[in-house]
Amino acid sequence: MGHQFVLLISATIFCVGAAGFLIRKNPLIMFMSVELMLNSVNFLLIGFSSFQKSMDGQIFALMIMTVAAAEVVVGLAIILTIFRTRHDMDVDHINTLKG
Amino acid sequence: MFELDLFELTKATVTTLVGLTAVLASLGVILCSSPIYCALYLIGHMICLALLFLLYNAEFVAAVQIIVYAGAVMILFLFIIALLGGKKEIQEPSTERSIAIAFVATMLGELFLSATVGPTRPIEGAFDAQTVAEVGGSAKAIGLELFSRHVVAFELASVLLLVAAVGIICLSKFSYVPLRRRMK
Repeated sequence: MGHQFVLLISATIFCVGAAGFLIRKNPLIMFMSVELMLNSVNFLLIGFSSFQKSMDGQIFALMIMTVAAAEVVVGLAIILTIFRTRHDMDVDHINTLKG
Repeated sequence: MFELDLFELTKATVTTLVGLTAVLASLGVILCSSPIYCALYLIGHMICLALLFLLYNAEFVAAVQIIVYAGAVMILFLFIIALLGGKKEIQEPSTERSIAIAFVATMLGELFLSATVGPTRPIEGAFDAQTVAEVGGSAKAIGLELFSRHVVAFELASVLLLVAAVGIICLSKFSYVPLRRRMK
């Protein structure tokens, strides 16, 4: 399959992830949407590394996976801390720094 | 000749089907109201992406995708959902939602336009499928590249993981309530 397929699938998944990040209010699902966006970029890198016959895309994909793992761990810890202190899972209600 | 064509045709069909399944699973992630179903859809999406990686000659990254994402990260998500209790979310239409959807639809249109403009200038790298097979597989080729030309990025990634581990210990040890008690 050619460049266009990779570009179209990747763009669609990225936009679905962006839409999910904007319209959902549960922070867990917002994090899942961020994962969707990161994964779409991974797919783009892998596809183009296959087309360009280069390993750089795959190494970049591995780096993105590392960043995503670190980001998810820290983000989930923050969500857990917020839930422990506020017992509320709606991001629209977390609008004060006073607690 | 005919056999080769049949192989290519099957590969193209499988790639299209898996790609469409990945898109549908990602739609399931953002449209389900219960977080646990969202997480299950996301696992399906990541497995589809791992299959796509396999179809584009990236065996090692496909294995890492299954182990790290569908394994570790999603199990972490499921644990957190089990801990916090997956409450259903009521989705009602509002102005902000329509603005967000219009923004994303515009972005999708622009991306599609830029994707269909035409071919970019191809760069011929050193790693076609035959070279990778001669080196000894995808994992070995990635290792050779990673430890020769991308050592700094590799070391920085390890520092990043260490910082994340230290940060999560700080977050879980010095949470809000003891902090307030200490400040009194």
